[in-house]
Amino acid sequence: MRVGPPLLGLLAVSLAARPLLPAWRSSREVLAPPGTAHPLGTNAIGQDIALGLLHATPNTLLVGLAAAALATGVALAAAGLAATAPPTLRAAILRLVDALQVLPAMLVLLFVAAFAQPGLAGLIPLLGLTSWHEDVRLALALIRREAGRENVHFARSMGASWSHCLRRHVLPAIRPALAALYVQNIRQVTLRGAGLAFLGLTDPRLPSWGSMMQEAMDHLYTPAWSWLLLPPALALTLFLLVLLALAEAAPDKDAAA
Amino acid sequence: MSGLFRIALLTLAALLSAPVLAQEDRPLIITDSRADRGMLAPYLHTRNGIAYLYMTYVFDSLVSQDRQGRPAPGLAASWTISADGLTADLQMDGRASWHDGRPVTARDAAFTFAYMARHPYPFVTLKNVAGAEALSDRHLRITLKSRDAGLVSGLLTALPILPEHVYAAEDAPERFTAPEAATGSGPYRLASYDKAQGRYMLEAVPDHYAGAPKFTRLMIVTMAPDAAIRALRGGEVDVISDLPVERAAGVEAQGLHVVRARSGHVTKIAFNHQGMFGARTLRQALAQALDRLAILDITAPNGAGALAETGYFQQGSPWREDRTDPVWPHDPAIAATLFEAQGFARNGTGRWQRDGAPVTLRLISDESQARVAQVVADQLEGFGFGVELRLMERTALQAVPPGGDYDLLIASVSTTGDPGDIASRVTGDAWSADRYAGDGRIAAALEAARQAATPEKRLAHLRAFQRLYAEELPSLMLIDPVMASAHGGRIALEFMPDGARIGIPTAIDKSAFLPE
Repeated sequence: MRVGPPLLGLLAVSLAARPLLPAWRSSREVLAPPGTAHPLGTNAIGQDIALGLLHATPNTLLVGLAAAALATGVALAAAGLAATAPPTLRAAILRLVDALQVLPAMLVLLFVAAFAQPGLAGLIPLLGLTSWHEDVRLALALIRREAGRENVHFARSMGASWSHCLRRHVLPAIRPALAALYVQNIRQVTLRGAGLAFLGLTDPRLPSWGSMMQEAMDHLYTPAWSWLLLPPALALTLFLLVLLALAEAAPDKDAAA
Repeated sequence: MSGLFRIALLTLAALLSAPVLAQEDRPLIITDSRADRGMLAPYLHTRNGIAYLYMTYVFDSLVSQDRQGRPAPGLAASWTISADGLTADLQMDGRASWHDGRPVTARDAAFTFAYMARHPYPFVTLKNVAGAEALSDRHLRITLKSRDAGLVSGLLTALPILPEHVYAAEDAPERFTAPEAATGSGPYRLASYDKAQGRYMLEAVPDHYAGAPKFTRLMIVTMAPDAAIRALRGGEVDVISDLPVERAAGVEAQGLHVVRARSGHVTKIAFNHQGMFGARTLRQALAQALDRLAILDITAPNGAGALAETGYFQQGSPWREDRTDPVWPHDPAIAATLFEAQGFARNGTGRWQRDGAPVTLRLISDESQARVAQVVADQLEGFGFGVELRLMERTALQAVPPGGDYDLLIASVSTTGDPGDIASRVTGDAWSADRYAGDGRIAAALEAARQAATPEKRLAHLRAFQRLYAEELPSLMLIDPVMASAHGGRIALEFMPDGARIGIPTAIDKSAFLPE
């Protein structure tokens, strides 16, 4: 996947830099405006906003990339199973997907998060396992299209197993579409994760762009909104724009290759 | 010509007097930032102090309070307590009447005691009352199981008296929502209540036995602070009952009146006494590991709070002994020594361990204390503890049992009002109580205070309690938040020193609306 390297690189850099960062501690400099000591100001408990952004970046990226990978992987596995399974099992898988699609994922997320208040390790499976069903039908259509091609028929007639065919013939053919699905999922889970943090439903000590925006809500009627809300909102917007650009560029490059 | 002149003069006089009449006729409008407080009847209002306070505008109790919070005649014009403290004889005020015109009698009061024993009302406890009997229409006798030094300033002040002719047939008062449920004997009658808008209109009872209220109508409206400040500036409302204290200076700068006071509703760290903090030394060590002054400066800057006293009673409380409680100053070195003496040791990274395992403290709270909880967690991490912070829904927090899955709990607790309730707040099992048993000395001091024969002896026992509390630290008091109200000058407001009625920190107790 061509979208992977730049995102993984960004994640690796932010993760590698994190141990070098000072702890994001509270201080008596409460709601200080941007200045020389604090380039982006401080929040309501005196934490430096710029430092908070640096702490929040790997968390936000990691949640987005890992939860989207989980969602895409589970969707692909379910679609692969449905494509190769007997009709009864295929019908059961598709009815399960239908049932999950009827249930709004955000409601499930809110319900679970309100009880569990997940941290980093909890957010990734929670977001991933509430997003996978949306991709199953598309992935199934792609797999069935590729599985119906002559190269797969030849391979099957020569004795190749379904798993071999999926691995060697189908997956390489649908990789560009999977990349697009993955990027779409990153965007979706990042927004959902930010939404959960914005509602205060994640671990209160897990810095993320969403939780930083949530902290700004108490100060919308004071001048502090500008340095509390804009930096994390701009970071999130920039990240989503980069994802969009990557999503548009990736399939063309793959196709050309 | 003279006729025309006379008409012109009359017209001019009418025009000039019109604004004055309109001003006097206008209700006193009070804003409240919280939505609906429920119907203003004892079993129907929401379970918080302000809702209780609004209810007292409609329902009087046997004993009232003056503007300084001292006991004053209410429905009972006078009272005497027997030498053994077990019998109270009260003479009812013969001028008192219900809002439907019937007289208030001792039978109503006796009925209320019996009714509330059958249908408990959360703001009073009657477990020490053996019985209440109407010896005549004017004479009420209350018999206690044991002496209660706080009978007058506690129970008799808190208990709203119900009309027997309205409530006698009601077996489920919490479902009795007819307008008659708000038939009280207070200085105001409930004229209208809009649940959706959280709006109340109250009309004065002109022949109230304590005198005609100063304002013919009171209106309580729900309004967010910013809108309320604009409305007060524009003269559209008269009182902001709960002004955010950080906005107080700005409101004063606009020429409006602001009154402030320490609330006595203290933010504290409660310990799980069934865990490691059952040891007093560790509670004292933790108190010195934390920088309470920094917590105050960060979470309540610019005078939004004061450093809490560690001996339970806060500055301004009439029950507090004017002495310096141990402040447990921030001293990481002493704290470390105390932890080490209890078998803790630091590893190479400075992280505390016990029995070779890193120590992680489980800190729980709710969203209202999120900032304090985060700063406390920061400080504990800085000192070398791992911290697992959970901000829970209030109902989930209330369900955490004593000895539950936590080490530290940050909560707000009232330290105001009659001290008769302190035992439940210290040794009780409620989520915001200290849940403390210790060696029994604190419980003994409180019981001695409850049964004290004279006010002086009661005070002496309460002072002993204060000293014990500051040493034993059932909870570590952190911040005493400052509360503020604003008004436009139509009324003079002050906070009562020890809170109103049941210890509610407010400037709009009903005594403010009654003649002195």
